[in-house]
Amino acid sequence: MTESLDVTRDELMAVAASREIRDGDLAFIGTGLPMVAAYLAKATHAPNVKLMFESGIIDPKPRELASGVGDYRLALGSPKIAGMAYALSLLQGGRVDLGFLGTAEIDAYGNLNSTVIGPYRHPKVRLAGSGGANDIASMAGRFVIIARLDRRRFVEKLSYLTTPGFLTGPGAREAAGLPGGGPARVITDLAVLGFDPASKRMRIEELFAGVTAAEVQERCGFELMKAPGIAESALPTANQLDLLRRVIDPDGIYLKP
Amino acid sequence: MSAARTKLVEMDEAIGVIKDGMSLTAGGFAHSHQPMALTRAIIRRGVRNLTIMGVAECWVAEYLAAAGAIGQAYMSNFMFEGFGRCRRFSEAVETGEIATEDHSHFGMICRLQAAGLGLPFMPIRAMSGTDIIERPGFEDAAAKSRRIESPFGGEAVRVVSPLKPDVAIIHAARADLDGNVQLFGATSVLEEQARAASHVIVSVEEIVSADVIRRQPELTILPGLLVDALVHLPYGAHPTGVYGYYDHDAAHLGEYYQASRDREATDGYLRRWVFEMEDHWSYLDAIGMSSLLRLRVDPALGSKLAARPS
Repeated sequence: MTESLDVTRDELMAVAASREIRDGDLAFIGTGLPMVAAYLAKATHAPNVKLMFESGIIDPKPRELASGVGDYRLALGSPKIAGMAYALSLLQGGRVDLGFLGTAEIDAYGNLNSTVIGPYRHPKVRLAGSGGANDIASMAGRFVIIARLDRRRFVEKLSYLTTPGFLTGPGAREAAGLPGGGPARVITDLAVLGFDPASKRMRIEELFAGVTAAEVQERCGFELMKAPGIAESALPTANQLDLLRRVIDPDGIYLKP
Repeated sequence: MSAARTKLVEMDEAIGVIKDGMSLTAGGFAHSHQPMALTRAIIRRGVRNLTIMGVAECWVAEYLAAAGAIGQAYMSNFMFEGFGRCRRFSEAVETGEIATEDHSHFGMICRLQAAGLGLPFMPIRAMSGTDIIERPGFEDAAAKSRRIESPFGGEAVRVVSPLKPDVAIIHAARADLDGNVQLFGATSVLEEQARAASHVIVSVEEIVSADVIRRQPELTILPGLLVDALVHLPYGAHPTGVYGYYDHDAAHLGEYYQASRDREATDGYLRRWVFEMEDHWSYLDAIGMSSLLRLRVDPALGSKLAARPS
């Protein structure tokens, strides 16, 4: 489709991520595309979404996009600023509807690794660690992963399971005592993936314009299921693109060409 | 009534309590209110084999790791927003110099809270089913967490054991001589860290009169009764920022981050900005007044606005 040439992968992902936000949600938001997606949702279909940040900033009205959740510019217009314990206690209390997560590795059940590549005690690469990711995935009503497709990221077996998706499949979260609903979607640069309700394994649900299921599978290190009737993902509207480019991230802090 | 003894001491006296092998927790979140002047002083003293009990003090952990001062780390996440991995910390884990014990953020917070409340454990919903629980680091898995039946019936619940740091180092906005400490903006994990630690050292931008504190007591995050030593260190969070005072110094953080790509360059950075500095005041002289003034924020906004025409 010709219009798609004018839309970057980051923009497609930001718009797809924003569609995961429902009006009235309390959403736990991290640095990067989730921030862009959240402000896009707030400016369009979800004006009543409330945003919460790990730094303890609750529902601010910043004048410009913050460079991170610790950026002082994010705090402006917040009705409540507290600390991390406060923000995470609301998560544990079951009040958060939705969270967004990135990851270094993801498996077919939506489990994530952001801790190490290689063995835990002598890792090849030490990564950042869970941070709030495990808390969000354990507790939020649902969570959405944003990750570019790559065989090194979408792997059969994680080096380390930092953050729970559906663990080993149906019933595993319940058996572990995890109250949150688990992963709902995986937003990638080629497709929107979801999870088969029966097996809890990852499946292709929507393809971005011009992308085939075979191309998606090619860049994934495990076998993807296919949803019945894979849809073509709706292209961003002119209004969404205008908001992204002129209002939300005009300096391209997170939306890269 | 006799006046309380002042908590205000010189830097050397404050950090003299920190010895080899102690456990340490530090304030800060992302590029904000990290106690960097205290951290530089600890490095200059050559303290070794510290156990970090850390949540979001990424810059403290990175500098201490770069100086070879950390032996092990109870942690949840160390990374630099907008930059990436904490390279010296990560490499020290990769080479086995630092042993780790991972948690979620709330997992670390719950362990600190258990210590602060004097409880043998704290229940938590997160972390179950993952390698954070299943694949222990340096700590015995059974000493870190268990799943127990709720004594009130109906469900099993995970509990974590307390972590009690020997020392907490914190940088905040202002305090009076009694050590009543205020901080504006987001407060990271300071309250939980201070309640958990055996000894609390706080540095502040400003020493103010007790009247200033008592006019807005709701801003006090640590009452003096929790503070053992207070040090007056303006720009004590530099190169990170303090809400309402100054923004983080992105150029200086970038200089460190560039240097951290390699061992020798990191050593060069530490020589230049830590070891060759006699004290915090020489550090500020070296950074330079114009650089410091350019970081000042709009006190009404608490931040700077980017210089972009609207």
